[in-house]
Amino acid sequence: MQQKLTEDKSIYLQISQMIETDILRGILLEEERVPSTNELAKLYTINPATAAKGVNILVDEGILYKKRGIGMFVANGAVEKIRIRRKNAFYQMRLTELLTEARSLGISKDELIAQIMREEL
Amino acid sequence: MSFLRCENLSKSYGQKVVLNELNLELESGKIYGLIGRNGAGKTTMLSIMSNQNPTSSGMVTLDGDNIWENRKALDRICFSRELNITAESGLAAYTVKRYLGAAALYLPHWDKEMAAHLMQSFQLDPKAKLGKLSKGMLSMVTIIVAMASKAEFTFLDEPVAGLDVVAREQFYKLLLDEYTETGRTFVISTHIIEEAADVMEEVIILNKGKIILKENTQDLIDRACYVTGLAEQVDQAVSGLECHHPESLGRSKGVTVLLKSGEHIGSGFDVTVQPLNLQKIFVALCGEEAQ
Repeated sequence: MQQKLTEDKSIYLQISQMIETDILRGILLEEERVPSTNELAKLYTINPATAAKGVNILVDEGILYKKRGIGMFVANGAVEKIRIRRKNAFYQMRLTELLTEARSLGISKDELIAQIMREEL
Repeated sequence: MSFLRCENLSKSYGQKVVLNELNLELESGKIYGLIGRNGAGKTTMLSIMSNQNPTSSGMVTLDGDNIWENRKALDRICFSRELNITAESGLAAYTVKRYLGAAALYLPHWDKEMAAHLMQSFQLDPKAKLGKLSKGMLSMVTIIVAMASKAEFTFLDEPVAGLDVVAREQFYKLLLDEYTETGRTFVISTHIIEEAADVMEEVIILNKGKIILKENTQDLIDRACYVTGLAEQVDQAVSGLECHHPESLGRSKGVTVLLKSGEHIGSGFDVTVQPLNLQKIFVALCGEEAQ
């Protein structure tokens, strides 16, 4: 959790994405405790309710789970879940952005597909 | 849970109406940010909410009881005003220590140790006279009064005015420390909106004596956006939505949109939709006449 907050996205989304990235990078391991909302609030100088909102997104996704009275932990299988979640987000967000830009440039669907086919993945 | 309410609050000074039939409900356990332009009525509102100033009409209640000259209610409220040192006020000759000692007399939950600790961490000389302090140092004194008051409802008027960036950061950390530890309710007025935005759970916008908005800060930022493009395209994309502060340049147009739940910017139009920070939302809502 060392990244800096930026201005172009909701703070709570940034918090949830930072935790996700830490899980993907093996900085936070499955079944390990993550920082509390109060710890996150103080670290990033944000309201604890905002930090909690970011953490709760991951609880709803089943990436974190609560142990009553102890704290928040990384769930088993979290790494795989994050991959799937980010893949969906990629299709929903980035692809829409790409298509909007293509539309204003007058790029046709065929032209776009042809361009993608030329790229290596 | 406790509630501090302004009910149809009005305040006039002679012909000048400062607060106009204002209604506001503060729920305990939150950090509120109070923002508004100069002269919007922020200080007047906070002074009335702490019984330092009578209303012209309407009232303020704490858990249903009128706070006016109500010692029991007032013991739970502290308004740490901005210190204006003038010759008449007689404050200039007070030392920091004597001033804090005087404040302690009025504040039943005063934490002497905390006050001493904060004086040290702000590097304030207890023997310094208020008249000799810089604007930033006076702000530190008001912060100490607010924090050490330990009041359940604590109001700070422009606490970061004149503070350098390091001291401002120190203040926000101190605020969060105290808040996470005690769950006290804070109302903080500020003109440095962007810095404070992340710390406030809810934002209250006061404009021309009325509350024009009170909302969870993140929810407000989430539903606000700036739409730009060819004027006709923009007009169609935002048709029927709540729009503020339209700006035109040649054929292009930009407009701030506040989406209600379930609404979205019309699709299929060649427009750019950008997120807005709190400061820009504020300007769009309150900067109309300044164009």
